[in-house]
Amino acid sequence: MIEAYRRMRDLVGAEVLGLLAFLVIVVIAFSLATPRFLTGENFGSIAFQLPELGLLTLAMLVPILSGGLNLAITYTANFCGLTLAWILQVHGGVDAGFGAFLLGCAAALAVGATAGLIMGLVIAYVGAHPILVSLAMMIFIRGLGEFLTRGGDISGFPDFIRPIGHGSVLGFPIPLLIFLVAAAIWYIMLQRTRHGFSTYMLGSNLEATRYSGIPTRRTITLIYTLSGLMCAVAGIVMVARFNSVRVGHGDAYLLITVLACFLGGVDPFGGFGRVLPVAIALLILQVLSSGLNLIGANQHLSTAVWGLFLIAVMVIRFGWQRLALRR
Amino acid sequence: MFKRFAAPLLGAAVIAASLATAAVAQDKPTMGVVVKIGGIPWFNAMEVGIKEQGDAMGMDAFMVGPTSADPALQVRAIEDLIAKGVDVIGVVPNDANAIEPVLEKARAAGIKVVTHESPAQKNVDWNFEMASSKGFGEAHAKMLAEAMGGKGSYAVYVGSLTVPLHNEWADYAIAYLKDNYPDMKLIGDRYGVAESVDDSRKTALDLIAANPDLTGFLAFGSQGPIGIGRALEETRKVGEIAVYGPFSPGQGRQLVKEGAISGGFMWNPMEAGRVFVRVGDMLVKGEAITDGTTIEGLGEVHPDGTNIIVDALIPINKDTVDGLADLGL
Repeated sequence: MIEAYRRMRDLVGAEVLGLLAFLVIVVIAFSLATPRFLTGENFGSIAFQLPELGLLTLAMLVPILSGGLNLAITYTANFCGLTLAWILQVHGGVDAGFGAFLLGCAAALAVGATAGLIMGLVIAYVGAHPILVSLAMMIFIRGLGEFLTRGGDISGFPDFIRPIGHGSVLGFPIPLLIFLVAAAIWYIMLQRTRHGFSTYMLGSNLEATRYSGIPTRRTITLIYTLSGLMCAVAGIVMVARFNSVRVGHGDAYLLITVLACFLGGVDPFGGFGRVLPVAIALLILQVLSSGLNLIGANQHLSTAVWGLFLIAVMVIRFGWQRLALRR
Repeated sequence: MFKRFAAPLLGAAVIAASLATAAVAQDKPTMGVVVKIGGIPWFNAMEVGIKEQGDAMGMDAFMVGPTSADPALQVRAIEDLIAKGVDVIGVVPNDANAIEPVLEKARAAGIKVVTHESPAQKNVDWNFEMASSKGFGEAHAKMLAEAMGGKGSYAVYVGSLTVPLHNEWADYAIAYLKDNYPDMKLIGDRYGVAESVDDSRKTALDLIAANPDLTGFLAFGSQGPIGIGRALEETRKVGEIAVYGPFSPGQGRQLVKEGAISGGFMWNPMEAGRVFVRVGDMLVKGEAITDGTTIEGLGEVHPDGTNIIVDALIPINKDTVDGLADLGL
């Protein structure tokens, strides 16, 4: 038994096991509280709700790993969505063809990457703090979006994009599949590539990394460009899910993505953190939120529970580290 | 080691579980109403109406108020209601288009859908309005014309030039005055300041100074009448200039009593909450709503497509303001 536990721990890490244990406890608690929890509908609902937040969290994860932050993620995502929506509108709105959609996606990805690139260049070459730069970018993108749309929304898209937000393949929701693919790419990027290694090094110690001959400026620029690219993917999924875009959609997600990263054991000062625990942390947050909704708890209470949960995890982690040191 | 880690987590989970109330009884019909945002007076009043009427009709009716007025959060709340397996979903949408796909999903799952304040909504069984744009605009215009004696100049505020509803109200009010009171003159076009007390006050001061024959204001936007009322007090014009428009009774109570705000109309969110449950109940029982059906709170209705639009306006004036303010509005 203990041997099996050790092997598991070596395979996926103690962090993941702890989070999984908590997930199991939460699921058991809610299934005792309401018979509606352990149902296909509820898991379907969770699976459809997770991806858009998940994609944004991935966009937030990489800058945090490098010791920075990207506060512009939600507005970048919406701005990319607006780009897609605008190209669909130009090509006939509801009657737009699949070609227009592909073109729109390409443009959305380009816009996201550009927004990230600009942020990355400013952070890398001007040396301004990522919080300031991304905050400025957030305000700029939001203002530009509000100006271009006059604060309204763009809607009326061809029917074939709807499955991207609401369809299923073999019982798996398509947005979830998109998220899983994106998470897998992020995992490979962080664990198996030179850029991923540089990202962790940068987050641990910028100066030491520079002296060791890693092109830190190029790496930082690439980090934010990739973050912007992931925002664009989130933006495209949100267009399909909401059937409309406005700069303000999902602005409540911004801080939740930071929360999910920290819950997943990412070091707030950068350098440490992995994709898998973050994905499990996201799942826990979603299960908590859906479960509380299911038992009819006040929405404001669910925010409070998330906060309580974060504090509890920090306290436990602190205690655990002390324990590990004493041994 | 593992146990030591799990124990405190178990404690946290027990907290979560203790927050969980008993399972919802499945034998009576359930209805969840997702509103724009929770925790503000308007929707608190609506929640009271939903709960009371639900108790009265033997329906398990409750309100879900997202923590911010974000359409994305409404979509999530509706997804969770579908998972919960409610019989009826009610929505006061932040964005009619954003919730359209998820409402389609709800209806595919056999759930009835009722919306409020969303006349262009697709994928609904019924949408009800307690005020038509025409009725609301004209009701204010009529009061203003009577107060001004059908002559003199007036100015019109809207919340912002991009709020479609406010501008529709203003359109109907101005058209009505133009047709019925040719001696009344509109100053300027319309001023998009009525979402800010301060801007409304400053604009009113400027307009009063520049137009000696100005004797009336129409302000569509909740802060407009308040700002104008304050400007009238400053310039000692209370009683000389009429101010009509919808506003929050609690906020404007004092100004109404002093006569700085002449009055306005609103609809009752608590009644809207009750109507949600009544319409939901009719849908569950399969009762048809046709031309001439009477629904308590709406009166005799004349549905147009899926829209039920009535003018269930209640006046805000010296006599009613205290009662409305005491409801927390």
